[in-house]
Amino acid sequence: MVKRFHEKAGKYQKAVCAAISIFAFVCIWQMAVAFTKAGLVLAGPIETLGAFFTAILHPIGTHTIEGHILWSLGRVLIGFAFGSLAGTVLGILMGWFKPVSALLRPIFELLRPIPPIAWIPLSIVWFGLGEMSKYFLIFYSAFCAVTMNAYSGVRSVDPELMGAARMLGANNRQVFTSIVLPSCIPHIFAGLQIAVGTSWATVVAAEMVRSSEGVGWVIIKGQDSNSTVQILVGIVAIGIVGYILAVAMRAIEARLCRWSVRGK
Amino acid sequence: MKRRKETYWWLSVLSIVLFVAVWWFCCDVLKLTKSSTLPGPITIAETFIKKLTSTAPDGATLPQHIFSSLKIALGGWAMGILIGTPLGIFMAWYKKVDLFVRPLFDLLRPVPGLAWIPLMIILFGIGLTPKIVTVFLSAFVPCVVNSYTGIRQTKDVHLWVGQTFGASDTQMLVHIAIPTALPLIMTGVRVALGAAWTCIVAAEMLASTMGLGYMIQQARGIYRPDIIICGMIGIGAIGAVFSGVLSLIENKIVKGVRRDG
Repeated sequence: MVKRFHEKAGKYQKAVCAAISIFAFVCIWQMAVAFTKAGLVLAGPIETLGAFFTAILHPIGTHTIEGHILWSLGRVLIGFAFGSLAGTVLGILMGWFKPVSALLRPIFELLRPIPPIAWIPLSIVWFGLGEMSKYFLIFYSAFCAVTMNAYSGVRSVDPELMGAARMLGANNRQVFTSIVLPSCIPHIFAGLQIAVGTSWATVVAAEMVRSSEGVGWVIIKGQDSNSTVQILVGIVAIGIVGYILAVAMRAIEARLCRWSVRGK
Repeated sequence: MKRRKETYWWLSVLSIVLFVAVWWFCCDVLKLTKSSTLPGPITIAETFIKKLTSTAPDGATLPQHIFSSLKIALGGWAMGILIGTPLGIFMAWYKKVDLFVRPLFDLLRPVPGLAWIPLMIILFGIGLTPKIVTVFLSAFVPCVVNSYTGIRQTKDVHLWVGQTFGASDTQMLVHIAIPTALPLIMTGVRVALGAAWTCIVAAEMLASTMGLGYMIQQARGIYRPDIIICGMIGIGAIGAVFSGVLSLIENKIVKGVRRDG
């Protein structure tokens, strides 16, 4: 054994093993559904996939499955855009100006441990049952993650770099724009990465508690009508979109932060 | 910059005092908000004290709710660690396990834990089981991911040294790889506890008869934001205590590691 973790399994071998294990899993699932009592409550994989493709053309409730996905994505994007923007600005301000940090950080630290999901009832009381409460929840979940990371990004700028720039005669503003900002961008991206994941989970939860469309609605209505097919279709959709969002964020980071170690 | 570090502590105290004072002034003195939207801090403190012993309006006192949530969250979390961490270690150490188990894990991973709630309710009813299983699923994923990454960080040089001194494969795993991975494993455990706590709140909001999530969801139905805020403070405080305690344990267990940031 020379390099334990660096010997690459051949692509071919990898794909074959993956195919075997997924196939085995699907087979066990299908058999369990076909031959045991589990079939009475649980839908099989073939049925689920079939229903998923049917849902692309035939609506579940008022929308097709893409319609539901788009509804949820729209909510996420609006909340996420505002939340991450506000979070970046606040995090950088808190990191750069000591008084701002002293003033706002305690309040932020009080709010931060409360998970976004725990805000669902209060946001419904405040903003009603409509879209506003969902935007607020996603804003909050993106905001917390991004603020924390932007703040620690500014705080962890290499002091030697700042010292060197100061010695060469850079003023405060120059140090900020040419050293602090660039070096906290990878941290901000780490925050955005987390924020995308939590926002997606939060929108699902918010839709499960109260909504009339969206992927969370699909699974909760599946529960109400005792239809595991519909729940599984919803879970498949949630998984696929969650995966695409994470991969997309990573691709954006790799493209925009080519120079950073994290981005590689 | 470092010299001025201590100068601003009074601003921090001032800011919290101001925050509560402004809240109190707007709600209790000026009565800008209705008590059915945002009650003042005094009302909330009163509700909190009353709720410690009173079962109205949702059938259980605050400590009962907290205990019920804690039981499920900690149970599912412990299961997630006990199954997830070894699985992550095996996946990283043994190539065959990696080749066969990882594709399945990658299928499961992008689905957030709380999306499983409806399915589990149908499969297991609305008792303890579906909640524990859902909490388990959401705690399981970070445990696997972190222990996997941790083991993968083992330096080849260290393994070579082990081999030179005649360590067996298991000895290298136990004495070299796992200690290397320990900081990340602990991170996974901490992330898992946060995920478990979030998940139990969501599960209780959807189907339950007790627990903090149930309490705030019921309070929403009868427009009692004071109870909702009490519940949120409870959820936040317990979450903060959790992560504080785990950081302490982490500092005790994980020695000799220089952590950045």
